[in-house]
Amino acid sequence: MVQTKKQKYLFLAFCLVPTFILFAIFTLYPMFSGLYYSFFRWSGSAANMEFIGFGNYVRLFNDSIIPRTIMHDYFLVATKVVGIMVLATFFAVAIMQLKIKEAPFYRIIFFFPNIMSVVVIGILWTFIYNPSLGLVNSALEFIGLESWTRPWLGSETWALPSLVLPSVWAGIGLFMLMLMGGIGTISKSYYEAAELDGANEWQQFWKVTLPLIWPQIKVSILYIVITTLNGSFIIVQIMTGGGPNNSTHVMGSYLYQQAFVQYNFGYGATIGVMILVLSLLTVFLLQLLLRREKVQY
Amino acid sequence: MKNLIKGSGLSALLIVGLMTACQGDNEEVNGTNGDANGNNQNSVDNNNNSNNNANDNAANENGEGDISGELEIQYFVGGYGDSWWKEVIGDFQEQYPDVTIIEHAGPNINDEMRSRWVSDDPPDVVYIDGAGSSETQMVDDGQLMNLTDWISDVETEDGSPLLDNLIVEPASYGGEIYSIPLVFDTWGTWYDKASFEEEGYEVPTDFDSYMSTMGEIQDNEGISPFVTTGQHPYYFLRGVLTPAFGAAGGDELLHDIVTGEEGVWERDEVVATMEKVAEMQEAGYIDDGFGAYNHTQSQMNFLLGDNAFIPVGFWLPNEMANDVPDGFEFGFTPSPMQDAGEPFAIVPDLRPLAIAENASNPDAAKAFVEFVFTQEYATAFSEHTGAIMNLQGVDLSENENVPPYLIEANEMINDPDQVQIYHRPHPMSADLETPLGNSLISLMLGDKTVEEFIEDAEAATADYRGE
Repeated sequence: MVQTKKQKYLFLAFCLVPTFILFAIFTLYPMFSGLYYSFFRWSGSAANMEFIGFGNYVRLFNDSIIPRTIMHDYFLVATKVVGIMVLATFFAVAIMQLKIKEAPFYRIIFFFPNIMSVVVIGILWTFIYNPSLGLVNSALEFIGLESWTRPWLGSETWALPSLVLPSVWAGIGLFMLMLMGGIGTISKSYYEAAELDGANEWQQFWKVTLPLIWPQIKVSILYIVITTLNGSFIIVQIMTGGGPNNSTHVMGSYLYQQAFVQYNFGYGATIGVMILVLSLLTVFLLQLLLRREKVQY
Repeated sequence: MKNLIKGSGLSALLIVGLMTACQGDNEEVNGTNGDANGNNQNSVDNNNNSNNNANDNAANENGEGDISGELEIQYFVGGYGDSWWKEVIGDFQEQYPDVTIIEHAGPNINDEMRSRWVSDDPPDVVYIDGAGSSETQMVDDGQLMNLTDWISDVETEDGSPLLDNLIVEPASYGGEIYSIPLVFDTWGTWYDKASFEEEGYEVPTDFDSYMSTMGEIQDNEGISPFVTTGQHPYYFLRGVLTPAFGAAGGDELLHDIVTGEEGVWERDEVVATMEKVAEMQEAGYIDDGFGAYNHTQSQMNFLLGDNAFIPVGFWLPNEMANDVPDGFEFGFTPSPMQDAGEPFAIVPDLRPLAIAENASNPDAAKAFVEFVFTQEYATAFSEHTGAIMNLQGVDLSENENVPPYLIEANEMINDPDQVQIYHRPHPMSADLETPLGNSLISLMLGDKTVEEFIEDAEAATADYRGE
């Protein structure tokens, strides 16, 4: 039976309209209302709002904490991308290429943190970093590095780097699975051919594996960047609350503080707009940087 | 590639939605809370059915039957628990059987009720306490009823004006009263009385003896004697600095600090106080891990004997009741930051009761506020919570149900030779307290000098004044 044009459009509308309505309610409406509130002085806990035009944006550019939060966010982005990608690739290649018998076991072990709530991870690592009872300082003392012990999360210098470890630990599993999926699709014949040509395993990794799993690597990097910019505030909020003295505040946690602790909801919405703009710019730049010719053998 | 950009972009777009999404969450939680309170309401009604006949007669005789309708009460449940509230609300219900009471209570109630306040549909009575609540903000936003005229006519059981019977007067906002302080809390410094007696440590009486006791404890036990929470710098600000400023400059200095007066942080007495804090840090008396502790962690460390002193309010024993080790005995002293020869200073931290400007049942709300301020409930408050209600003439000295530390503290507070009480005009705004607290943490970590802290503090007050 041939579909008439009308039937075709009806079917398309049936598929698209509900999706668009949901998208409008859950994405467009919050986005535009966030933008709208950014033009008001509003405590967020009362009905009265005062329109102040670009007042909140002027304040944003004059707020000395904002550049620090941006730097903290991009520090986490950079360290997480490097840490997660290097380790996830290493484990994925090791499990897939070395043909370890216990591969399924390791797969589960590495993926385990991904099924834990970030809140639980934050609390767990807060105990691990505890200056007197924590695993980190106890381990350092045990191996004779007592001078290296310090109040990790309580130090303005070390608190932010200390957040990297739990973030990387929590992120490896998912990306390891993605990369394993990519490696699994590479035909064994490429490796046999490479071996016949005299390529060692290191060369096989650089010349065969890496180019062929590049799409998965690219998606992984973009995903890490976006989730870090949008979601790193959870781990910050749980582990340090942005302190000491703003040394771990990221854009999201500062937004939370302004909107819900200092009752500057309008200004918080302005920070939200800034996060949106920076996230879009970052994703756009990454798309350009990660562009590569598709490899086919 | 295009799809990827779209997908990534959309995820990024969601961040602005965070603002509204959070609001949405509140509404949802609120809905759940509403259900819970619906049940609550039923249980109160059921309880009252059996008493209705007896109470109706009494109520009619007293002319209290005029008060009727729904009365919504919002109260935060924190360290003080909710048993006192249950008793008072139950008794109020007995006295006013025509009123249907709806309770909104819990540790997150301020956040859960936010959407009601935003949509101009607030509860009638609100007890302002706990995270997510700010009296100054509510007054700024015009959410609280001006009680100035009404409260001056309210009398206590003996016929004297209620205002004359309060330990501390209501906060004044340009001469207007928007709330009645219910809980007379005060911050001070806690120690383990049992261990002090056992080890023979002297309970400090001024800053010099404080430093010498901390030094002795550090030498004997190898611990940093002082701990506080770094995640909530206001614990140190309100628990140590505010009374120290009271002792150094009285009500006038406290007024100027709270209102962000220009140059206040550069005054000699303020600099001298901040130097005392630096002295504590330089001597290594402040636990170097405090920067990351939340209030519970710092309190646990204190109870476990990792530290000897902690600044917290009266609610500490009640809040940590389940974690107190055997042999531990709470000892309380006003924070000993004053110079030798001077009396201790305390600055009451009041938790007020207020009526919403848009209360739907203001008569019942006023009746409830009036009902609460009696000797009976003030005594019950100390028994239930281990803290003091803001009403004079309550004799706790012979009361076996009141914890010993409270009786001692109460006696001390009432002896002007030992303790001077100073007052802030109103609580400090979060916009001023937050930056001050952040820089204070740096000073206490040894990352900033007193001069740098004072520069930051002056900048924060200038921001607060809108300069």
